[in-house]
Amino acid sequence: MIIYLRSGGKLKDRLKPDVDQYTRRIEVEGDKPLRDILNEVGVPDSLVAFAFINGKLERLEYRPVDGDVITLQPPVSGG
Amino acid sequence: MPLSTDQRERYSRQTELQGWGAEGQERLLESSVFVAGVGGLGCAAATYLAVAGVGEVVVCDGDVVERSNLNRQFLYTRDDLTRHKAPIAAAQLRRLNPDITVTPVIAEINRSTAQGLIEGADLVLDCLDNPETRITLNRAAIAASIPMVYAAVAEYTGYLSFLNPPATPCLECFVDGTRPAVHPPVPGCTVGVLGSLEAMEALKFLTGTGETLAGRLLVVEGAVPSFDVIEIERDPDCPACRGL
Ligand SMILES: [Zn+2]
Repeated sequence: MIIYLRSGGKLKDRLKPDVDQYTRRIEVEGDKPLRDILNEVGVPDSLVAFAFINGKLERLEYRPVDGDVITLQPPVSGG
Repeated sequence: MPLSTDQRERYSRQTELQGWGAEGQERLLESSVFVAGVGGLGCAAATYLAVAGVGEVVVCDGDVVERSNLNRQFLYTRDDLTRHKAPIAAAQLRRLNPDITVTPVIAEINRSTAQGLIEGADLVLDCLDNPETRITLNRAAIAASIPMVYAAVAEYTGYLSFLNPPATPCLECFVDGTRPAVHPPVPGCTVGVLGSLEAMEALKFLTGTGETLAGRLLVVEGAVPSFDVIEIERDPDCPACRGL
């Protein structure tokens, strides 16, 4: 299946976008949690606080389905 | 208490807002907001609360002013270096609006102090700069049944939500508080935007106007730029609000 990972913030460089300047197309074999997919494509899950898909916050245990556009957000704690 | 002539004029540009009116302003003047941290977020949030006429603004911070604060913490100047932030912030806010009470508190927010510090507040604003203290504040707010506005920033990124469990998630339902504290780059404009939005959440809640971000998370990516509002849900296994 094909999914799309997006990031506009500091994860963008790690993600190596190829579709547009924020989005990378990923081919995923089998059913697996987002956490594993991220680690496989070189985005350590420690750099991702959460993800959102279709306007809903998901955890890294989420198992993507074909066509998902997943926006990744970094941990942010400053003030 | 009915508004005085001076107050009617001072607050007229906001009391004209639909649903706010003199009644909303009176409610605001009787409210107390605890601002946890008067760094970047806190300077912006506390300023807008003060000039809007929140009756009591408590500004709590144990830190002193450092030179590297001055790019974003606009209540302080070079003359304030090494002095505690809370009393300086309070003096500035009183100058902006002598109509209200501003209470400075020089204290660290930790497990033994948090609950006592926020007691009596109608709302808590999380303007902190590290995950551990945020979690402590979250637990204290839950224990005291006080709603809390959450904000956090780094670089051009900011997150914001209105937390009032069990009606909404609490902070630990969606934020991992065990991550190490970091000191990210933070331009003043990022904390200005997010701190102002914290004040907006507070004013909507206290006056009963508009809709808060209850059950939703605002994600600001200033570098793109994009603003997204994301649905968030309670975590049934949340260590902080499970069982509420
Ligand atoms: Zn919770």
